[in-house]
Amino acid sequence: MNEGITPTLLILEASLPVQLVLLTLLGLSIVSWVMIFQRWMVLSAALKGVLSFEHRFWSGMDLSQLYKEGSQMQKEAIPAVGMENIFRAGFKEFMRLRQQPSMDKEAIMEGAQRAMRVAYSREEEKLEKHLPFLATVASVSVYIGLFGTVIGIMNSFIGLASQAQVTMQVIAPDIAEALIATAMGLFVAIPAVVVYNRYSATVDNITSSYVTFTDEFSSILHRQIHSD
Amino acid sequence: MKDTFNNVVIYNGYPLSLVVAVTFHSAILALLLFLQSSRSADVMELVQPTVVKALLVQENPQVANERVRLKRQQQQQQRAREQEQAQQAAEAERQRQEQARAEEQRKARELASLRQRQEKERLDAEQLQREQETLAEEQRRQRELVEAQRQQEVRDRETQREREAAEAAAAEIASSEFEMVQSGTALIQQLVQESWSRPPSARNGMRAVLQMRLLPTGELVDVSVTQSSGDPAFDRSAENAVYGAAPFRELQALPINIFNENFRSLSLIFEPEDLLN
Repeated sequence: MNEGITPTLLILEASLPVQLVLLTLLGLSIVSWVMIFQRWMVLSAALKGVLSFEHRFWSGMDLSQLYKEGSQMQKEAIPAVGMENIFRAGFKEFMRLRQQPSMDKEAIMEGAQRAMRVAYSREEEKLEKHLPFLATVASVSVYIGLFGTVIGIMNSFIGLASQAQVTMQVIAPDIAEALIATAMGLFVAIPAVVVYNRYSATVDNITSSYVTFTDEFSSILHRQIHSD
Repeated sequence: MKDTFNNVVIYNGYPLSLVVAVTFHSAILALLLFLQSSRSADVMELVQPTVVKALLVQENPQVANERVRLKRQQQQQQRAREQEQAQQAAEAERQRQEQARAEEQRKARELASLRQRQEKERLDAEQLQREQETLAEEQRRQRELVEAQRQQEVRDRETQREREAAEAAAAEIASSEFEMVQSGTALIQQLVQESWSRPPSARNGMRAVLQMRLLPTGELVDVSVTQSSGDPAFDRSAENAVYGAAPFRELQALPINIFNENFRSLSLIFEPEDLLN
């Protein structure tokens, strides 16, 4: 029976630099997939949170009632999500400043908006966490794979230099071994690129809905403060 | 409440992600392994190489030449041993002669002393003179002895040098011959291999031995099947390969003695080693 070249054999018998490159890429792949799944859960939960909170907010419920519901939930150790955090920060600051008698209306609005801005940037930070890592993996792993290939081909040519007769059977395994590194690099890079682009679009989507909500909420507060 | 699950999972969920990612990778790996192991032989059979390996084995000139080289080395060693033995014999002879000479000397000295004692009283002056003479003679003998020894040493060194030079020359000739035969063999093998197109009935384990006779110009006189593979088509394809590869013009460059020793009659073994069935 002739012994064919199988990918497993190639990887096991590859030279040390190529094996190191492959190990690095495997590690990067696993870590990036952990990020992919974790981000997926975070972003889908944030999207759902936006929808459900907007539904509750525009259902005509009283704002202080909504705030109390949130406090009740926090007491039950359920942390508030995304948009609700912004609402709570703004409303809390608004109520506190309003109780002080010497405050003028513009100063109260300023304070509430500042509190919402802070909460907004905190939420954005949470959403964008790990996305730069995915971007790095996407661009770098191709180069790492290419590096492995170049090293492998270089080694094979150094080996060929000492041989008088070079046949396809001599070259082929080394080249194949080297090419596995590039394949692995692409295998890591492609999902990372796709997912990075997709997730950054989703994050943009969510943050823009936060911004819209902040504007709408501050206009409501503005109406409330000028009505009395 | 639906949000409860979201809230628990939302800003952590790393362990779950890790499990999912590792599972995902193992699944891909398992899939690859499965695909690899289940790749059937039927698919592989379709891939058929057009050029197949021809091996030169029987009466392999390389092996023959190696044998010749070994024999030559042994002969050289034998010769060296003989020379050494001859030297030892000569040395023994020389020592015996020296002993004899010393014996003579001793006798002469005894005689002289006897005479001295007899003539001591009456020939004081003569005795002195004679003593001086014997002394001179002894010195002369010793000088001769030393001279002979030196000459012997010089001769030894010269023979040693000659022997070493001869050995080196022989080794060089042998190695260049070996290389020539090797390159000639490789050439024939390559040409025959290139022109051999294997019939579809060929299988691994088939073996045909062909005897080819060559002229010093590299032309092929004839080729005959000395051991059939059992498949006439296979034998014929091997024959055709040899006819197609001839003439081997590059063999003209070989010295005639090397050609006669190694290439005049050459056996080729045809074995399709790289088939998949």
